[in-house]
Amino acid sequence: MKNVYTPIEAKILEVIDETPTIKTFVVEPREEIKFKAGQFMEMTVPGLGEAPFTPSSSPSQKGKIDFTVMKVGRVTEALHEMTEGQTVGLRGPFGTEYPLDKWKGKEILIVGGGVGGAPLRALFLALTERINDFKKILYCYGARTPADIVYKDQIQKEWPAIDPRQIETRLTVDEGDARWKGNVGVVTTVVENIGLDVKTSIGVVCGPPIMMKFATFKLVDLGFPDEAIYLSMEKNMSCGIGKCGHCMLGQYMVCKDGPVLTYDLIKDKPALWD
Amino acid sequence: MEAFFITDSDFVSFLSWLEKRGDLFVTTRDEEDCVKIKPYAEAGEFQYPGVRAVQPLKPFFFTMLEEVAQYPSAEEKTYEAKPFTILGAAACDLRGIEALDKVFLEGDFKDPFYEEKRAKSLLISCDCTEPYETCFCTLMGIRPYPEKTFDINLSMLEGGYVVEVGSDKGKQVIDGNKSLFKPATDNHLSQRQSLRKEVEAKVEGQSKQYKPSGSWQDAIAEAFEDPGWERNVETCVECGACLFICPTCQCFLLYDEKLKDRYERLRMWDACVYRNFARVGGGANPRPRLVERFKHRYYHKLDYFPKTYGFEGCVGCGRCIVACPGKIDMREVLKEICKV
Repeated sequence: MKNVYTPIEAKILEVIDETPTIKTFVVEPREEIKFKAGQFMEMTVPGLGEAPFTPSSSPSQKGKIDFTVMKVGRVTEALHEMTEGQTVGLRGPFGTEYPLDKWKGKEILIVGGGVGGAPLRALFLALTERINDFKKILYCYGARTPADIVYKDQIQKEWPAIDPRQIETRLTVDEGDARWKGNVGVVTTVVENIGLDVKTSIGVVCGPPIMMKFATFKLVDLGFPDEAIYLSMEKNMSCGIGKCGHCMLGQYMVCKDGPVLTYDLIKDKPALWD
Repeated sequence: MEAFFITDSDFVSFLSWLEKRGDLFVTTRDEEDCVKIKPYAEAGEFQYPGVRAVQPLKPFFFTMLEEVAQYPSAEEKTYEAKPFTILGAAACDLRGIEALDKVFLEGDFKDPFYEEKRAKSLLISCDCTEPYETCFCTLMGIRPYPEKTFDINLSMLEGGYVVEVGSDKGKQVIDGNKSLFKPATDNHLSQRQSLRKEVEAKVEGQSKQYKPSGSWQDAIAEAFEDPGWERNVETCVECGACLFICPTCQCFLLYDEKLKDRYERLRMWDACVYRNFARVGGGANPRPRLVERFKHRYYHKLDYFPKTYGFEGCVGCGRCIVACPGKIDMREVLKEICKV
C-alpha cells in the first residue's frame, strides 16, 4: 500500500537569499522525484506541517530541486529559519503541468510578479532546453522594488544570452530607487509592443492575485484567446490529491485539476482572484 | 439480482455468523426512539431501522481523527483494517458511500485508509418503512429503498426478510450460509414492492413542494447572486454541524505533531463554513464572508459535485436540518433561492 500522506525526506543543500523576504532552498530528496514544470509539491517542515510550492529549478536537473519561497505564513516563516544540512519532507509532484508539447511552434509570453517568478523559472528553463520547438519567448517580470526582484541577474543577463534572437526579457518595478535605470510601473506596463502574433501565441501568468488579475485582463485586451492564457492558481492546496476540499475553485480542485488552468475554464468561477 | 427469504429464527443464526466474521455494528432504537448504529454487543439486539440512523456511515470509513503517516519513516507501515459489518444502512447512506468512493478512490491517488476500510466492510442495508418528516431522498434521485452500493439488502416482511444480493461479496456471504436462505417467492416480492411504493409515495408527497422543475444544477445555476442567501444565513452560527453530520462531506485538514523521536501526521474533519478554511499562507481568503461560505456548501453539493461525478452530493437524509441550531432547513432555503 502506497501511503500518499508520507513525505519523502529531503536534505537542504543550500539556502540562497534572493530578496529580503524570499529564499531559494536547494534540496536533495532521498528518492528520485520527477516533476514537470508547473506541477507543485507539498513541503513539510518537520513537526509543523506542510505548504505547497512549485519547484523553481528545471525539471531536468538531476538529484536536487530548488524551491523559491516567500516568508508569508507559519510554515514559510519556520522554513526561512532552516539551514543547510537540515531535513524537510516532500510529497508530490501534484497537479497539472504546462503543456509544452501542445505549445510547439508557438510564441510564448510569460508574465510574472513577485514570488510568482518561481514556477515561471522552472517553465522558462524547460522551454529553453528545447528552444528550437518555440518561435520566441518574451519574459516580463515585475517586482515591488529593485531589491524585490527574484533571479535579477538571470533575467537581465543569463537568460537572454541563451539565445538572443529568440529570447527577450523585460523587468519593471513598482517603485524605483536611486540606482534603478529600468522601467517603473506595474508589470502590465511592459506588456506593450510585444511583437507577438497574439492570435496564435501562448500567454502564461503567475504572481500575486491582484497582479494575475490585471495581467490576465491585459492579455485578453491584447487579443489572446482565453484558452491560450495559462494561469498558475494559488489556492489552499493541502492534501494535494483532490480530496481535502480546501483549494476548490468552482468545481475544480486546484491541486488536482490545476494549479495550471486556462482562463476559459475558470473565468466565471467565484472568487477567482481572491 | 438474486432474491432470497430468511425467516426471523434463521436470522438469529445469521447474526451469530456475522458476529464471528469481525466487528458487527447494528441499528438499534434508544430510549428516545432514535435509531443509532452501535456495536452489536452494546446494542444487545438488531432492530430493523425503518429510517436512516442518527449517524451516517462516513465515520466508519473516514474517521473523524486518524493518524495517516509517521515520519521520518524508515519503512512503510502497512495499514490493515479489521473486517466489519454494518447492518441497517439506509438507501441515502449508501448514496453517501457512493459519493465518498468517488472522492477517495477515483483518480490518480487513492486514499489508502478509506480503501482498506471499504475492502474490509460488509454493508447490509434495509428498506425504509418510517421516513422522517425531514427525509427528502426522492428529491435527490434516490428511492427510500436501496438499489445499489449494498452487499446485501433486507426488506422486512411478516416473519422474516426478503434478502437481495448486491455484490460478489454479498453473494459469498449468502453462499456460505446457504441453509438459512430460501429463494424468495413471487408473493414475497410483490409484498415488498407494495411496501416500497407506499413509502416512496410518502417521501415524494412530503417533498413535492420542494421539487425543482428541472435538475438542481440548472435550478441553482441562476441563483448565485440571489439576495435570499443573505436572509437565510442570518441564523447560521458557523458551528459546522451540518457538514460534520453530512454523509458526503469529505473535507479534512492535515496537521503534524511531534512524538518522542519522530513526527506524526493527523487527519481531522474540517468544515468549509469556518472562516479560514480556504485562506492561503499569504492571507488571501476566497470566501471571507459567511454568506459566501454558506453558499459554497450548496454549490458544492448541487452544482460542483454533479459537474465532476454526475450526481448530487446531497443524499436527502435531512440530518443537516435536524442538526442545525439555527433551524436552517436546506429544503426551504433551496425553495426560496431556486424559486421552486
